[in-house]
Amino acid sequence: MAMFKTAEEFEKVIGGFFNLVADTPLIADKLLKSKMVIRFKYSDPDLAIVIDCSGDKAEVRPQDTETKALVEMSMSSDIAHRFWFGMVNLTKALTRKEMIAKGPIPKVLKLLPAIKPAYAMYPKYLDENGFEQYNITKAYKPPTA
Amino acid sequence: MLPEFFEFYNPTKVVYEDGVATDLKPELDIIGIQKYFIVSDHIINDLGLVDKVADGLAEAGFEVTGKYLDVSQDARLNDVQTCADLIKSSGAEGIISIGGGSVIDTAKASNILFSEGGDLVEDYSGAHTLTHPLKPHVVIPTTAGTGSEVTMVAVIYDEENKEKLAFVDKFLLPNLAVLDPQMTFSLPPKMTAATGMDALTHAIEAYVGTQASPISDAFAVGAIELVVKHLVNATKNGEDVEARGGQLIAATMAGIAFSHSMVGCIHGMAHATGGLYRVPHGVANGIFLPFGMEYNFEEIKEKLARLAQIMGEDISGLSEEEAARLAIAAVRKLSGQLNELDALPLRLRDVGVPEDGLEAIAEGALNDGTSFYNPREMDEEELLPFIQKAY
Repeated sequence: MAMFKTAEEFEKVIGGFFNLVADTPLIADKLLKSKMVIRFKYSDPDLAIVIDCSGDKAEVRPQDTETKALVEMSMSSDIAHRFWFGMVNLTKALTRKEMIAKGPIPKVLKLLPAIKPAYAMYPKYLDENGFEQYNITKAYKPPTA
Repeated sequence: MLPEFFEFYNPTKVVYEDGVATDLKPELDIIGIQKYFIVSDHIINDLGLVDKVADGLAEAGFEVTGKYLDVSQDARLNDVQTCADLIKSSGAEGIISIGGGSVIDTAKASNILFSEGGDLVEDYSGAHTLTHPLKPHVVIPTTAGTGSEVTMVAVIYDEENKEKLAFVDKFLLPNLAVLDPQMTFSLPPKMTAATGMDALTHAIEAYVGTQASPISDAFAVGAIELVVKHLVNATKNGEDVEARGGQLIAATMAGIAFSHSMVGCIHGMAHATGGLYRVPHGVANGIFLPFGMEYNFEEIKEKLARLAQIMGEDISGLSEEEAARLAIAAVRKLSGQLNELDALPLRLRDVGVPEDGLEAIAEGALNDGTSFYNPREMDEEELLPFIQKAY
């Protein structure tokens, strides 16, 4: 069963988080350098969000299905949610088609180091914005090194 | 330690025999179609290799519906569209590609359009975007390096936007890879050495990479042993069947290995150097290989120590660190032998790279998708001294 019951709720959570990331210079500066426009296409529930880094400021546009995106990442909302906890092995997700990446993959891979700090921000963001019920880190035990 | 997750998938049938490219009836009967379109290039055609295969097909009762020989040195987007249109209009049911990486990748990408239609870039660039198996694709490599005959990747150059596009999909894996040493006899010594070092780099980067698994390791190790045994002989004597065969098999095994465990900073530097200064990919890999191993040294020491043994070095009595250094020395010994044959340059300065272009190579390597898979987190400032050493 999907963690998010409605697209509205998921949009509030993930859209709010993307806005926080877009306002965090440590991450946003690197995203802006890429000049990329990325569309995330989520399923179960369905939602599209564009992150537009082509201008001076990273813009987050929920429900934007019109803008031409260089990269389109499709995945379920649950995979997206787990990704921002740093719990998704990208290679595994792509191999098993849990994520489908359309567009220049090397450019996406290049951004991964830049977004690493966001993994620590996500659970904190959930706790501080009334979304504690979605914070799954307490139950998660990372694999031992 | 075992990886948390890995997948191994390679449905490509591989056949090896001296001369088998002209006698494919048993394999093609299993595929079950009659009409094939040949994709190759003019060099391969002028060497008579296309006719050799086509004659064998005709003798066995298969129809060649047409040929596309205009594949560029880099597989190009425009070539793909033209080639796919020709394949469709010829009435072919499948493709046979005869050539090196560019030919094979052109055929793979053309097969997407031939089988599925649509717009190659808009609809299919990226990872695992295909939803159906493509039409049959038989590959006959004429170089021993890229491993494209067994990988799920096609890299196509977009001339308009001046960028390389990657297509990664299980359905791009060819149905059949035909390894025939005779098809590589005419490869000149310099290309033999460069493509051989490309195969060795695939194998070593796959062996030490972050996505390596026990299964990809087995293929990588097999490939490394074969390259060490055969590359110098194949470079010295192009018609040495044993050496040519060994190199073909090595390239295929290395292809299977890196298709699963990816490549890292050595390929990143080679891609940047190729893009900026047109240095052939295999040559650039050959130059950067020992320096990339040094850059990653601390993270891959344990595996390098084993690599020394795989490369035939005696590590008895040595510490892990000493044995690991010996693996890098073994790579240098091999490339040194090729250099003595005047077949492989060892320094960037010898291949037209300007000294003031080294920072751009470091920057390009960081921006390359391979940086994500490198065992050591890549940092431009930390990488630059190794590129300077390679100069």
